[in-house]
Amino acid sequence: MFSKSLLFTVLRALDWARVEDSAPGWCCLVRPGAHPAVLVVALVAAVAVAFLVFCLVDLARGRVRHLPKWGWALIICVSVPWGGLAYLIFGKDRTTPGVPVPAIPRIPDVTTSVPGVPRKPPAAPVVIDVERLTKRFGSVTAVDDLSFAVRPGTVTGFLGPNGAGKTTTLRVILGLDAPTSGTALVGGRRYQEFIRPLHEVGSLLDATALPAGRPAWFHLLAIAQSNGIGRRRVREVLELTGLDSVAGRRAGEFSLGMKQRLGIAAALLADPPVLLLDEPVNGLDPEGIRWIRQLLRAMAAEGRTILISSHLMSEMAQTADHLIIIGRGRLLADTSTAEFVSSTRRDVRVLSPRAGELAGVLAAGGAAVRAEDDGGLAVTGMDAAAVGDLAAGHGIAVHELIARHASLEEAYLALTGASTDYRAGTPLPDASPAAAAR
Amino acid sequence: MTAAQLRGGAARPAREPPAPSRLVHARDVLASEWTKLRSLRSNRLTVAIAAAVTLVLTAVVVEAFATAPGAATHPAPVDRLAASFLAYAEYTILPVTVLSVLVFTSEYGSGLIYTTFTAVPGRRAVLAAKAAVTGAAALVIGEVLAFACFFLAQAIFSGRHDAVSLASPGALRAVLAAGVTLAACALVGVGAGAVVRHTAGAIAAAVTVVYLLAVLCMALPEPWNIRLGRFTLPFAAYAEVAAHPPGGLLAPGFSLLVLIAWPAAAVGAAAVVLTRRDA
Repeated sequence: MFSKSLLFTVLRALDWARVEDSAPGWCCLVRPGAHPAVLVVALVAAVAVAFLVFCLVDLARGRVRHLPKWGWALIICVSVPWGGLAYLIFGKDRTTPGVPVPAIPRIPDVTTSVPGVPRKPPAAPVVIDVERLTKRFGSVTAVDDLSFAVRPGTVTGFLGPNGAGKTTTLRVILGLDAPTSGTALVGGRRYQEFIRPLHEVGSLLDATALPAGRPAWFHLLAIAQSNGIGRRRVREVLELTGLDSVAGRRAGEFSLGMKQRLGIAAALLADPPVLLLDEPVNGLDPEGIRWIRQLLRAMAAEGRTILISSHLMSEMAQTADHLIIIGRGRLLADTSTAEFVSSTRRDVRVLSPRAGELAGVLAAGGAAVRAEDDGGLAVTGMDAAAVGDLAAGHGIAVHELIARHASLEEAYLALTGASTDYRAGTPLPDASPAAAAR
Repeated sequence: MTAAQLRGGAARPAREPPAPSRLVHARDVLASEWTKLRSLRSNRLTVAIAAAVTLVLTAVVVEAFATAPGAATHPAPVDRLAASFLAYAEYTILPVTVLSVLVFTSEYGSGLIYTTFTAVPGRRAVLAAKAAVTGAAALVIGEVLAFACFFLAQAIFSGRHDAVSLASPGALRAVLAAGVTLAACALVGVGAGAVVRHTAGAIAAAVTVVYLLAVLCMALPEPWNIRLGRFTLPFAAYAEVAAHPPGGLLAPGFSLLVLIAWPAAAVGAAAVVLTRRDA
């Protein structure tokens, strides 16, 4: 027996038509907002196909005859339902542009322990060891004798200008590219030796690398199945990234921010002790960036090893505890974020109505003085207190006295801008004695 | 949302359980590839349309064949058994070959292949799983459609009292071989996709093996056209499905070897190339 609800159930199951329960009668089958031209084209095409089939059958029977009087009526009666169905299937629904972005869930702050929840850090901390790694593509050297180690329990930022070799290094660590020489080990093993690597390393190289036509749920399920991870965990990571409400939508319809979250969900599938993320904040809004930052900090606090690459210094400054900076494939710096800032240029800015006189006094006191465009003096080799005392001692009025640090951004630019001049082990420009001695 | 959920619940062990056996690993990768294959709506839709078109055109072709003027007096170049598969040879085999090419090239095109290879670093395991799943799906589709085409065609012929029954010599072999041919073409597509990596190029390569080599051989001078042509996929398949194949073609047993050799070569080439190249 033909029933409307049965038809609708079938259409819903096939995801062929947007079936609105609220609409009265059969109206719910009409796609709201679909262009009427689609219906016209579908009907005309259906009639044409039916006519063609009629002619083909005639030709095949070896005779050509004129359509009988009822022929056209038959063709139209047969093809109109097909045209209507084509309209339902292919008529683009314009009322819902894209997929609604679901809210980002709150990340639990596991740095302060949650009462009642046992903290379980990874059974053994895992170190990523890159040892004298070189990768050449033809005559181009992408990574040049690079050595560094990524320690557990911290968020390590992997920084470098575009084309510095960050992604190539990550690809070698993940076994996608074979190194020309040197090794990249995760927990002492080559990536290719892992049978179920997602249990060891969660990674995200390119968030836009998604199958456009596959629903997010099946995308994650396929990855999970290959590593023996169950459906329950797939649902969990979808909830964790707030994508559970759109799990049935095709990944190609997602916005860039949602794709990033889907990529993070895939990286977290097996709850791995190591996370490798390439540019994880690209395309995220401020809320999403804060979400990632909290997530990474929470996971690092559990003793995981986390390496995130970026070319945005300001972002790294707030997320990473440790920095590995490369330029043109070589190591420029491997230092903690705080140390990197303190090791860079600092001076004292002083503004005085008797600047010329003050400059002479300061120079006599052993400082290097440089005049700035607005009449201020940039003093190096003497701290702000000494400058103030000296000025007071000579009775020179001081209108402004500021101790200045180069921002992390400037330090980074100074370092990478001249990346050919600095090899690994060379002290940083204007390095502090502590940094140079290290 | 609690820390336990972030970690995946207290019941889950923090680290990987002991390494899985080869059998479990194979099952995992097969399940993953099967999920990928079945979760694309375009795959289901294309196969459904291809099946519908094949059946309609089989009816059209066979009807034309049966009612052609002089069909009774002049022997047709194609016998009634092979005529069942004329539409199948194009409207099933071509779409399925293209879908098989896409198994690899769509992943290379979108960059998804990196995700696949980081989840399963053994690239030959990935190739084997993709080939097995695609080949098995093509075999099932092929056998179902081959039987459908056969019975449809013979039903039309029987209206004119010259049908071939499944029990007549060579008929069952022909129907089974038609399904095997679809699996062979699908595997050629998978191999071509893995070797060439770009969709357009890989489709060109696969179609060359599946169709064009035979056409090229036909352009050769007289004794050589059939001498070389019998080693191509279409002629090997024709030797299997025809009740009375024209002289010069290989015997059905050898033709079956040819039907196996082409996909084996394609997948073998893919296995060599995949492990040597960077992903």
